[in-house]
This record gives sequence, structure tokens and C-alpha cells, in this order.
Amino acid sequence: MCTEAIMLSIIFVPLVGSFLLPLIGRVSVRLRNYVAFGLVLATFLLAASLIPMARAGHNVTFSRQLVFGFSSIFNADGLAVFMASVASFISLLIVLYSFGYIDHYEHQSEYYFMVVFFLGAMMGLVMASNLLVLYVFWELTAIASWRLIGFFRDKHQVMRADKAFLMTFFGAVVMLIGFIVVYQQTGSFDLATIKANLNGGTLSNLAVFLILFGILSKSATLPFHTWLPDAGVAPSPVTALLHAAILVKIGVYVFARLFVVTFPIEQIWHTVVPIIAAVSAIVAAGAALIETDIKRIIAYSTISQIGFIFFGLSTGNMVGVAGGLLYILAHGLSKAGLFLCAGIVEQNTKIKDITRLGGLIKTMPFTAIAFLACAVSVMGIPPFSGFFAKYMVFAGGIQAGQIGISMFFMVGAFMTILYLLRVFNKVFMGEPGESADSEGSPVMVFTVVAFAVLSLISGILIHYPAQFVQTVLSQLPGVK
Amino acid sequence: MDTILLWPILLPLLGGLLVLSIPKQVRFWKEAITITVTALNLWLVVSLFDKNLYYFWSWLSFGKIEFALRLYHFSSFIVIAAAGFAFLICLYSLSFMQYRNHLRQFYAYLLWSLALANGAVLADNLLVLLFFLEGLLITSFGFIAIGSKDGIRTAIKAFIILGITDICLMTGIIITGYLAGTLTISAIHLPINGLAGLAFLLMMIGAIAKGGSMPFHSWIPDAAIDAPLPFMAYIPAALEKLLGIYLLARICLDMFQLTAGSWASITLMTIGAITIILAVMMALIQKDYKRLLSYHAISQVGYMILGVGTALPVGIIGGLFHMINHAMYKSCLFLTGGAVEKQAGTTDLEKLGGIGRKMPITFGAFIIAAMAISGVPPLNGFFSKELVYDGALKSGAIFYLAAVAGSFFTAASFLKLGHAAFLGKLSEENKNVKEAGPAMLVPMIVIAAGCILFGVYNALPLKHLIQPILDQKLLQGENFWGWPSSAMLVMVTCAVLIGALINHFYGVRNEGSGLKAVDHIHYAPGLKEIYARAEKRYFDPYDIGLKLAGYLAHITWGVDKAVDWIYEKAAVTVSFVAGRKARELFKGYYANSLSWALLGFLAVALYLMVSLNG
Repeated sequence: MCTEAIMLSIIFVPLVGSFLLPLIGRVSVRLRNYVAFGLVLATFLLAASLIPMARAGHNVTFSRQLVFGFSSIFNADGLAVFMASVASFISLLIVLYSFGYIDHYEHQSEYYFMVVFFLGAMMGLVMASNLLVLYVFWELTAIASWRLIGFFRDKHQVMRADKAFLMTFFGAVVMLIGFIVVYQQTGSFDLATIKANLNGGTLSNLAVFLILFGILSKSATLPFHTWLPDAGVAPSPVTALLHAAILVKIGVYVFARLFVVTFPIEQIWHTVVPIIAAVSAIVAAGAALIETDIKRIIAYSTISQIGFIFFGLSTGNMVGVAGGLLYILAHGLSKAGLFLCAGIVEQNTKIKDITRLGGLIKTMPFTAIAFLACAVSVMGIPPFSGFFAKYMVFAGGIQAGQIGISMFFMVGAFMTILYLLRVFNKVFMGEPGESADSEGSPVMVFTVVAFAVLSLISGILIHYPAQFVQTVLSQLPGVK
Repeated sequence: MDTILLWPILLPLLGGLLVLSIPKQVRFWKEAITITVTALNLWLVVSLFDKNLYYFWSWLSFGKIEFALRLYHFSSFIVIAAAGFAFLICLYSLSFMQYRNHLRQFYAYLLWSLALANGAVLADNLLVLLFFLEGLLITSFGFIAIGSKDGIRTAIKAFIILGITDICLMTGIIITGYLAGTLTISAIHLPINGLAGLAFLLMMIGAIAKGGSMPFHSWIPDAAIDAPLPFMAYIPAALEKLLGIYLLARICLDMFQLTAGSWASITLMTIGAITIILAVMMALIQKDYKRLLSYHAISQVGYMILGVGTALPVGIIGGLFHMINHAMYKSCLFLTGGAVEKQAGTTDLEKLGGIGRKMPITFGAFIIAAMAISGVPPLNGFFSKELVYDGALKSGAIFYLAAVAGSFFTAASFLKLGHAAFLGKLSEENKNVKEAGPAMLVPMIVIAAGCILFGVYNALPLKHLIQPILDQKLLQGENFWGWPSSAMLVMVTCAVLIGALINHFYGVRNEGSGLKAVDHIHYAPGLKEIYARAEKRYFDPYDIGLKLAGYLAHITWGVDKAVDWIYEKAAVTVSFVAGRKARELFKGYYANSLSWALLGFLAVALYLMVSLNG
């Protein structure tokens, strides 16, 4: 199969395939689950099959002449392949976990439909090489996430889903205006054409400002973050998907795609973005220390960690950007693990308030150890992969001369240790809480242990992902 | 490329994995594996002594990050010391840990700690150093957590304190690497000024926190109660002192140019002096064998920091000599504490007493180690303290006074401890106490003998191990072995020791028991109130820090809630009100709607005209 076909199937296999799931669900529930898993697996395998090409430095482009002078539509370079592989791999394990988790509830067909559709939209977004195409897929993910957050149909949950949709939609519309400003400045929506027309100049500040609205709201960064903790009402695999694999990583990815590797932006943004990220990291870390709902705490933790990723990417130098990308990998693995562990706890005890839990290490030892391992990776303790990612982000920041901002991130890193250990201590240690139940179902426990082990292995073998990221970045312009 | 350098790391690492993989029911194998691995490791590092070896492998492809290991005189000395302690403490644990829970984990952590310590000492790249050093967080956490029911609280405390200081170390390392343009430790040599000052400070925090200095100490006394005893003898008493002070020495001697009289030097000496005094004052009033020792483990690191901080050859040599001496006598003391715990079933000094007759060999080892830590000639602690005194006096009388006062209280508290535990009346419950078994006695005897050897024949460590660490230019031909050069200092030391003895007899006569020998200090006016507060943990920097973090968190939580209010309330209200107002504009008449439409059309036309012409 030629690479162009592979690239298109990465997008359209899950996107189109997802529509079959509700139909299959009417025939056989089991078959539907297998097909859903198969679609995600296929997506992952297809994305992974492009890795050798990306390492060799080749791109795949799909282009057709359309209205408004569209030419290139999709483009898969190393960055896109990296992101697609990571996202689809994490989604794969989350779908596996869903088999154990979701089968207690109604509307399962809708669930699998939306999850696979979500992934497909993400793949389209990752490969998009045109601002309008990017916008279309961006909104497709918004629709999928809206349905998934509102999976349980109580008024409370539906309102939270609406809040998430409205906030990210607001950001997206402002971003769309930003795209139009870009069009006015350069006369094109194609990334490559825009870059050529910019002629080495910088993108206008207004455009950057407007586009940042979209990016920050999607990646749940201050001041557009509050929908993310509220989205914790969704089923745990969905929150894991939102936090670890797909949704919040979209903003980060688009930031990297537009402002790091494609367009030059003015120097001032290399200070403004880290400041926003630092404030976001500290505010969210503080909130995580106060909250008592386990899923809200982990959600605030994501907001805080996204700050670190932005910091790394905004440095614009090799170490920092590579650190940001490895952070996406490390954080994805460990945060998915944390959410899925929380899901096991929540499902077995029916409690989310950590002050009412306790002593669960006795009844669910595997979940406890997996949670601890993932938490340690998020904290950035060797030999877990979080350590290297954190180190490189800081190294990039200091190399960019951001000493003061690095100190703020240091405080953020301190607080990460505090709030994660607090959760672990309250939930798994101490006297047994109100409800101490048995371990989760085998497939769920397998998944969380897999995430913990992967966090560890990706750290020990950091040489390989790091090398891949470096090869990818060295082929892209814009990273020094 | 000397791949043999990988073995001190791989051997214990694989050994630990092997121990963990053995089924619980199988007995003896895990012990056998651990003792074999530690013995092999000892043999290996001894056979490598004083060689210059180098290994590297391109680890991360970001230019400066190589997996570089370097064996030279200093690192070779430290890995041998670490290997020796690992072997002896493993031997001791065979008997001590028998019939306890979590044995597989215990031995795995023991081996992994050794692997990580070896890696940290051999590292010749700052990231490699950080990788191994910070990895110890996990093994320490596990070690403490398996000790007792409340162990997890202390484990978390240790993890938080050391985790935070490790992040400081990481930032310091990054700034250092940025300024130096390389992460290769042996290639870095920065003057301390400007940004390098910040880097020095951050790295120093990491190093002294590993050593257990104040204000990063407060997990150690808690761990003394909660963790299994061999952990105390192994990690806080020996390995972490070796690592922390090794790192501090590398920072001060190699990576930065610490000069006498600079602010950095004064800072270090002040931290050292304060640590000596405050920790020994706390040790004085402890009523538990292990807890008392743990405060000394903090206090003694003050001498090392003070010595190294002087930036004078005599002080640095003294500090490093004190490091190895301390590791010896303090782990020996902890081992005697463990023997008492195992045989008498308690380490509470109120319940002990008179067991010296029942456990003569343990008592003998205790006496030697206690004399060594108090600085009684001709034991090893005496010689290293004299060197530190010499350096301190040259740097400022106040530092010398603090160090000497520390010695007085050290001697006083060990007189109290020995008296309360081993002498006095034997209680009913302890009538049947027996001497510990050979596996526990041998390590104690060996280390106690080492204390005598390193004192009487101090040329062995000083001439062959420690002096070669320093640049010959720095030494200017001076030699530090043999009897201390200043008779005055020796006289003061002896006077202080005699003073401590008199103080002890005074206290015993007043209060009538060894345990209460220092009560006249404990309950002295002024001190009494401070002690009462300290006992209630008012001064625990950890608790204070957590409280501060809590305040910060409350503020940021408020910010978060304020932001959310904008979306939850403000935005909703605005859109409702605006909607209502907009509805009012449409009154339902045809003309009214038409006029709005026209207005809109005009606006669009105007915009198009302006933008097309512009």
C-alpha cells in the first residue's frame, strides 16, 4: 500500500468505521466490541507503520485542487506520526479497559461509536495541513467529546457536557477568526503556502492572540480550564481519553504545529506563553491540593502538567521541544493509568470523595501499585519516563534564558509531589474507608498495570523515543 | 571503554530482581542471593581500587547527555565504603530480619539502593548522577513503608522532603550544565557568581538534604521509629552520608570554585554549625535508643558540612574523614541498637537498663563507637573532629565554638544513653536477655575494630584515601595524618570531654539515674519551654512547609473558583440579560423588524465599501 493510502486510512478507517458500530451493536454486542477494538488497533498499526518513513525524513502529502485555492489537505510528517502513534496506542488500551468498565451501563453502542469517531477526528486533525481542514476536525472532536462527557444522561452531567462544549467552542470560534486574520495577512489557508508567503517574516500578533484562545481552551489552560475538572462526571475511560490521549493534547499539538515548527512568531510570545503556562501550572496544582474528589484532583493535575508541556514547546529549542513531546508521551501513559485506576476505585466503591476512602491497598493491591507507579512518573522520578520529560522541559526553559519562570515551574513540580501523594495516601493507605471492595475486573487491572509498566519501560528505554523525537525535530524547520 | 564499570550497577540491580522473583515460600534463597551479590560487589570494587576507568554510551541524543561513568580515586573510595556497609548490614539482617514480613522487598531494596548508590558515585555526567540519586527516593520509600504500620506516613514524609530537594538539585544541575556548556562533571569548573551562585545554591540544597542536614532532616527521627533498623544503619547513617557529602565535595571542589571567606562558604558553614547545635540539643533529651541516635546522624553531618564549607584544605580533609568515620561509628551504633531491640524487645530507655552484663560484646562495640562519636582520643572521630575544629577556628571563632559545644552535648548524650541502656539496675523483664547471635555481632565487631584502626593508624585513611582526593597544589605539601598539630585544640577537646563527664556525674547524683542525667539541661529555665514546643513538632520544617503549601493552595484555589465563576455565573447572566434586551428590541411589528434589517444591511454595505476601498 502506498503511503498516501496509509495516511488516508489512518483518518478514515476509524472515522467511517465508527458509523458501523451502532449497526453491529444491534446484531452482537461482543462483535461490536471486537470491531471497535479492531478499528483502533488498525489505526495504531497504520500510524506505527509510518514510523520508519518518518525516521527517514520523508513526508506524505495528499493534495487536491479545491475552492479558495486549497491545495494540500493532509500531510503526515514525523511530528504527526509521533502524535498519531501515541494517541492511538493509548486509546487502544483505554478501549480494552472499557470492555470491563462500560458493560454495566446503557448506550454502549453510542459509547464505542463516539470513542472511535473521536479518535478518527483526532487523526484527521493531526494530519491536517490546512487551517480550515484543521478547524473542521477540531469541531468534530468537540462534538464527540460533548456526547462522551454527557454519557450519563442526568441533568447534572448534561450541563457539564454543555459547559465543556461551549467553552471549547467559544475558543474555537475565536481561533477561526484568527485563521481569517492569517488569511488576510498571507492569502492562504495552506500551511505550506502561508509559510512561503510569510517569507521569513512573523505571523501578526493579532492572529497569534486569537488562535491562542482556541489552543488554550482546548488544552484546558488558565483561564479557559474550568470545563476539564467538571468533565470528570464522564465515565472514567472517557476522562482518561480526554486527558491522556486525545482532547487536551490537541491544543498542545496545534501549538507545536503552528507556532513551533511552522510559523515564526514574535519574540514576545516566547515569554507570554510560558507565563500563562506557569500561572496555569501553579493555580491548578494548588487546586489539586484542596479538592477532595479523586477525578477532579487528577483533572487539575492534567491542567498543571499541560503547563509544563507548553513551557517546553514554547522554548523553541531542541531540548525543550523534544522535552515537550516526550512529556506528551510520558504524561499520556501515566495520566491514563491514573484515571483508569480512579475508575476502578470509583466503580468498586461507588465513592469519589478521597476523605471517605482508605486502606484500599489491601483489597486492590494491583490497582494501588499501578496508581503509585503512574503517580511517580507524573512527579518525574527516575527511572520513569516522566523524569526525562521534566528534565528536558526544564533544560529547554533554562537554555532559553527563562530562569525566573523555571523557578515557578519548580514550585509547580513540588506541588505535584504533594497532591499526588496525598491522593495515594488517602485512597490506598490508612484505615479502611466506608467501602472496601475487591479488585477490578481482570481486563481493567491488566490495563492499569500495563500503563504502569509502560511508564517504567518508556523511562528505562528512553533512548529510543528520544532518538525518534530528535530525528523528527531535526527535520522540521523552526526548532534550533 | 571499560564495561566492567557497569557491573557494580547491574549486579545488585539484577540481584534485586532475582530476589523479588523468588516465591515467598522458598526460604534462605533470597538471603543467600543478597549476601552473595553484596560480597561479589565488594570483591569487584576492591579489585578496581585506584584504577582509572571510563565508560560511556550515548544515552540521549541531545548532544550533551551521555551515560558516562568514571572510576577514579575518590569515587573508588566511596564505592568501596558503600560496598563494605552493604555487605556487613546484609550479614546483620540475616539474623535481625528473620521471621519478619516483606523480606523479599527488604532485600530487593537493599540491593537496588546499592546499585543506585554505585551509579550515582560513578556517574561522570550530571544527568546520570541525578538519575541514580533521585532513584533512591523509591527504594527509601519502600524501605520505610515496609517497616511498620505507620511506616507509610514517614515514607511519604521522606519522599516529599527528598523529592523536593531533588527537584532543586535538578534545576541546579540544568543551570550548571547550561553555564558550563557541558554536563560532564569532570569538565565543569565554574566560579561562584551571578547565575552560577544560584546553581551552586540549588545543587548544594540537593547535596546537604541527601546528607540529612537541617532543615531537611525531620524525616530521619521518624524513620528511626518506623523503618526496619538495618535501613537506618544502611541508608541515613551510611549511604546517604557518603552520597551527600561526596556530592557536596564534588560540588565545592570540582564543579564550582569555592573560596574561603566567600558568601557560599559562610552559608555552608552556618548551615553546618546550626545543624550541629540544634540536632544535638534534640538528641540530648530523647528517651528512645534509636531516636537518640537518629538525631546524632543529623548533628554529625553538620561537622562534615562545616568542614567542607571552610574551603580550607584542613577543613575539607577533616569533613571527608569525618564522613567515613561517621558512617562507621553511626552504623555500628545503630546495629547495637538493633541488637538491643531484638534481644530485649524494646529500645525505650525507660524500660532498658543493666543489660550490659547480659550483652557484653554489644556493650563493648557500643562503648568504642560512642567514644568515637564523642571524639575521645585515639579513636577515629577524635582525629576528624580535630581537623574540622582547626578549619573552623581559622574561618571564625563562632563556628569553632559551635563545633566544640556540639561535642560537649554529644558526649553528654552518649554518657546518658550508655548509662541508661547498659548500666544501672536490670529490670525484671530483662532478666533473660541474651547476647545477640554471631551474624549480628560480627558486623558490629568489624566496624568497631575499624573505628580503632582508623584512629590509631589514621595515616591509612588520610594518606592513602583522603588526601589524594585533593589537588596537590591546594595541599601545599601539608600532611594531615598523625597526631593533631595544634596542642591547644587537643587540650580544649579534652577539657570539654572531661566537662561532659563531670556534667554526667552531677546529673546522676542530682536525679539518681542515668536516664535523667541531663534533666538539669532539659528543664533549665528558658530551654524547658523551647524543648516543650520542639517535642510538639512546632519547629518541624516539614510541617511548616506543608502549611505554607496549604496557604498557597487555598489562594490558587480561590483564583480557580473566581475564574470558574465567570463562566458559571457571569457569562450565563450576561447572555440571559442580553437575550432579554434583544427580545425587547423586536416588538413584533412589521416596520420594526424591517428597520432593523435595513440597519443591518447598511452596516454590511458600509463595511464592504470601506474594506474594498481600503
